[in-house]
Amino acid sequence: MTNDLRQADTRFAQAGDTRTSAKVSRETISAATVAVLCVLLLVGARFVSPALGSWSQVETVLILGFFLVVLSFGQGLVILSGGLDLSLPGTITLGGILATGWVGTSDPAAWYLLPVVLAACGVVGLISALGIIWLRVPPFIMTMAMSIIVASALLGYTNGSPRGAAPYVAVALMKGHVLGMPVPVVVLICFVVLGWLFQSRSVFGRYVYAVGTNVEAARIAGVPVTFSRILPYVVSAMCAGFVGIALVGYSSGATLRMGDDYLLPSIAAVVIGGSSILGGRGTYLGSVGGAILLTTLGTIISALGFEFGLRTIIEGSIVLVALLLLREELFKKLWSIRR
Amino acid sequence: MIVGIYVVLYALYVYQQPRALSASAIAALFNNSAPLALAAAGQALVVISRGFDLSVAGVISLCNVTLAVYPMAGPGGALISVLICMAIGLLVGAVNGLLVAVLRMQSIAATLATMIICQGIALVILKAPGGTVADWIADEMTGRLWNAIPVSGLVVAIVVAVWLLIRRTNFGMAIYAIGADEQSASLSGMDTTRVRFLTYALAGVVYGLAGFMLSAQTATGNPTAGTPLLMLSFAAVALGGTSLAGGRGGLFASVMGAAVLMLLQKVLFSSGVSSFYTGVFQGAALILAVVLSGVLSRIGEAK
Repeated sequence: MTNDLRQADTRFAQAGDTRTSAKVSRETISAATVAVLCVLLLVGARFVSPALGSWSQVETVLILGFFLVVLSFGQGLVILSGGLDLSLPGTITLGGILATGWVGTSDPAAWYLLPVVLAACGVVGLISALGIIWLRVPPFIMTMAMSIIVASALLGYTNGSPRGAAPYVAVALMKGHVLGMPVPVVVLICFVVLGWLFQSRSVFGRYVYAVGTNVEAARIAGVPVTFSRILPYVVSAMCAGFVGIALVGYSSGATLRMGDDYLLPSIAAVVIGGSSILGGRGTYLGSVGGAILLTTLGTIISALGFEFGLRTIIEGSIVLVALLLLREELFKKLWSIRR
Repeated sequence: MIVGIYVVLYALYVYQQPRALSASAIAALFNNSAPLALAAAGQALVVISRGFDLSVAGVISLCNVTLAVYPMAGPGGALISVLICMAIGLLVGAVNGLLVAVLRMQSIAATLATMIICQGIALVILKAPGGTVADWIADEMTGRLWNAIPVSGLVVAIVVAVWLLIRRTNFGMAIYAIGADEQSASLSGMDTTRVRFLTYALAGVVYGLAGFMLSAQTATGNPTAGTPLLMLSFAAVALGGTSLAGGRGGLFASVMGAAVLMLLQKVLFSSGVSSFYTGVFQGAALILAVVLSGVLSRIGEAK
């Protein structure tokens, strides 16, 4: 009898052990793999073409990766909370078009109008979240519908051809230099640090983890569930709006399809970074690694003269492989073999 | 119910455009709706089995560019073309089935990845919109049989008829069973992995047909031809009253849902709403349809 109890006891202890260890190993492993892959790619690219693998390419990757790193924060939070945000194309375009249409090049107005643009994007995220929580529409349907509604409204608003130029602030954000460093790189580093603090060290971040793991358990534990489920969508939409403004500053104008190419990479970055697509697991630093890896790959592919289609195929295959490798069962199996 | 909505909408359309009653206008309406109707029919299969299939957009784009870049003349060429389309769909569907049924990946994630890859292949085959679909396909598949029956309508009718036959088989019932409750389906001795795999493969074949009909209608190639049909296919399925939680619904209702969506576009256009805003109404229709079907199923469960 006592023997039985003791056995059960050790079994419990073991089960607990596996869980924490698996969690640690899973996230460290994927983050480390992504980082090593990035360095290998950059160094390896040197052998392919001498123009690659230089410090200036690193700078290019960081500037081009700016958009994806910012987007993957919002997308990562939404996926962490157990959802999926397919509204990015619409909200990115909304940010870009409002920035050129409302703000334009007028300098003084930019300081109070740009936050208004971000707030407008946040409202789109809020509507998505309310539809998902109150009306119980599946997240991907709700956000897909919102993206199409926003895109179509913008099409009507601009009569098919967006006008206006990039605000001065947005241009400075993407093309300026501070202390010899490009401004986007400095902003990017600040954003990553703040994003990491928010997701992994703040109360709100913990709430989102709790909601993504188990909504009912989170509710019982006293987590403000509704708020914690709305927050990721609003943050994601605002990140997308910010990217829209940055894109306008980078390319000096808005187009109606400017957001289309960023939806799938944003999900890919989060998944490659080791987040569970089912929510509750993942770190922002992992997503940042995923975003940088994808951007590095993109610059190498285009430097080698491959076409966009091939790049899409490679990106899709990476997502598929990442999803296959990061399945829960596989990690459990690996762990049991090591035991 | 969905048929009722269609009749009301159609009456409104005829009231606005009396010419809509002519045989050629009816055929045009059928031609417009056929690709979406087929896409929705395939989507309905997957949704009934409790899954989502985003690869529909990729398969349709892939079939479209294939037909536009490698046109084959004459009825024989059309036959080979339609077989190629169905084979493409079958292949992609089988990959989806492998990922979702055998490797147990989440359906949205797996089909999202296959959709990206298909879109990439489509872009490699054809970089920018262009190319011409074989004349025979473009003419005959959008024409009328004996000057009365629209061929596109016939194709959709055949798919629905085949489904009505399949539905009576063990496989057909198993699709509903695993959608309603996979565990109890498995406990009652069904090979759920096999059924789920075949569901995705079958859906892929129907998407291939949708790609074929879309190519016949547009007569040209576009590497992103399937993208607009992605959201609309879900909207059509939801409008048709198929529960997105799986286990309930049908193909015919989804086909009618697709017809309503396309007719809605025509009615809006003839009411003078700028075509720019079509997306606003379609997106709203999607959300409304999902909410309504959710409310109806909850009322049904409460009874």
